[in-house]
Amino acid sequence: MKLKIAFSFLGTLLILFIAVPLFKMIISVEPAELARTAIQKDVVASILLTLRASLWSTLAALFCGIPLAFLLARVNFFGKKIIEGLIDIPVIIPHTAAGIALLMVWGRQSAFTKLTGISILGTEVAISIGMFFVSMPFLVNSVKEGFKLIDSRYEKTAISLGATPWKAFTTVSLPMAKKSIISGSIMMWARGISEFGAVVILAYHPITASVLIFERYQNFGIKYAAPITVLLIIISFVIFIILRVVEDKQ
Amino acid sequence: MIKIENVQKKYEGFEIQNIHLEIKKGEYFVILGPSGAGKTLILEMIAGLVKPDLGKISGIKGSRIGLIYQDYMLFPHMNVFQNIAYGLRRKKEKKEKVESAVQKAAQQLGIFHLLHRNVNKLSGGEKQRVAIGRAMVMKPDIYLLDEPTAALDLSTKIQAQRLFMSLHKEGQATVIHVTHDFEEALALGDRIALLFNGQIIQKDKPEEVFNNPATKEAADFLGYKNVFSGEIRESLMHIHGIEITTPVNKASPAYIAIRSNDIILSKKKIFSSARNYFIGEIIKVINRGSHLEVLVDIGILLHVDITHQSYREMGIGIGNQVWATFKTSAIKVFEH
Repeated sequence: MKLKIAFSFLGTLLILFIAVPLFKMIISVEPAELARTAIQKDVVASILLTLRASLWSTLAALFCGIPLAFLLARVNFFGKKIIEGLIDIPVIIPHTAAGIALLMVWGRQSAFTKLTGISILGTEVAISIGMFFVSMPFLVNSVKEGFKLIDSRYEKTAISLGATPWKAFTTVSLPMAKKSIISGSIMMWARGISEFGAVVILAYHPITASVLIFERYQNFGIKYAAPITVLLIIISFVIFIILRVVEDKQ
Repeated sequence: MIKIENVQKKYEGFEIQNIHLEIKKGEYFVILGPSGAGKTLILEMIAGLVKPDLGKISGIKGSRIGLIYQDYMLFPHMNVFQNIAYGLRRKKEKKEKVESAVQKAAQQLGIFHLLHRNVNKLSGGEKQRVAIGRAMVMKPDIYLLDEPTAALDLSTKIQAQRLFMSLHKEGQATVIHVTHDFEEALALGDRIALLFNGQIIQKDKPEEVFNNPATKEAADFLGYKNVFSGEIRESLMHIHGIEITTPVNKASPAYIAIRSNDIILSKKKIFSSARNYFIGEIIKVINRGSHLEVLVDIGILLHVDITHQSYREMGIGIGNQVWATFKTSAIKVFEH
């Protein structure tokens, strides 16, 4: 009993640390002001762009990330620890540094642009690339842990029943890992939405929500940055509650 | 015939060495050994799921294999019907054919009423039947059973053993059954191979293996409770002040093993052809269900199995003095 009280106290401190700033910010914005902000064209556009760009990056990560996660969970190979470390790097480094590193590959001076003549800087693609880089570890690690939890004998059983390895993967491993794939995707999408550092370097425009908040704060001060911040928090919060409910239903 | 020649494999901490086995078509072959001996790995190699590092497994090509793992590995995201239908659907069988095959198997296994249930909510025995059904509908030539009864209670286990016998007979399938339960091995196997630490130490008919274990470890594992070590000179082993007459003239160091139902208890000394008779005190009586296990201290502790009836009729109990008699030929000797 005493232990539970002590733990509740410590837990409460943490929750307050998160909740108080959010709460103060939310009550600082008048509902009328919030409503006005919600119909501003550039605000709506930036929020939609953010949600969309992060969705593209998550879908792209699913396409390559699930196979990679499966390999990491099932196969032991030389250099595996290095690969796993590499995947975690985007989480560790400052995201502005990630943005700079990405410029080397996708910037105006890059081989890519020189060869193709295409510059992606300042496009929605660039935003997705920035988001992808910094948020992909959440997806890959979550899916990897999910596959690790599945006894490989399920796949062996499927193969012994005549399934090809591909069929065993799609009919057994994949559906059994569904929960971690969904939760990894939610995490990655969420992390993408909140990304600022890498995005601002690759694409100041078109303007994402995080960049718009930064811009309004820079130009007009906290009072003008708050409404859009609150709006973004409310929208994200509602979406994630819905997604978590859907996830639990699975 | 399935031929396993000189197979070696290192895998996740296990090492399997030098496995030679020839399993005849239609044989019920049991691989018996403690957990961690590498039994599952052998089955997975026979099934072609794991490649041996060295050696060769032949006689499998073109055979249909029914692999059943200890914890059944039912696909948790599919119901009973979908689990059983899994293999047939991979073969792209017609819908009606799949349905009738699944229903027939379910009927035979007594799980027809469970077909639309969630597999996670079944009992152990039911889960196992589903696993058997899933393998059975593929009409395997070879069943590979990996500790299939280890997680079942006694009555379900006996039912399952009957089921394996009938699968074997009806389908004329070869069965390779892996277990750590020597009673199960004795009950089911046409032949038994003993696997210890990744090596086959003995393979023979069940009675042969049971009556003549090849090593001390095998004797321990086969339920020999009286295993003693010492030195044998002029046919005698001296241990703790007593002399046991053994069938071997000289062995040093050596183990001897005596089965607990090869020892006779009596209230008076029996004059017989048996060379070993000792007086001792009963210090414990353990009820083993079908019989009693009596522990007699004759200088060393002897485990003796007797029936409830003889225990009653002899009128003996803890603290009584009794004679323990056994023949020299009942002693198995193993050199270190």
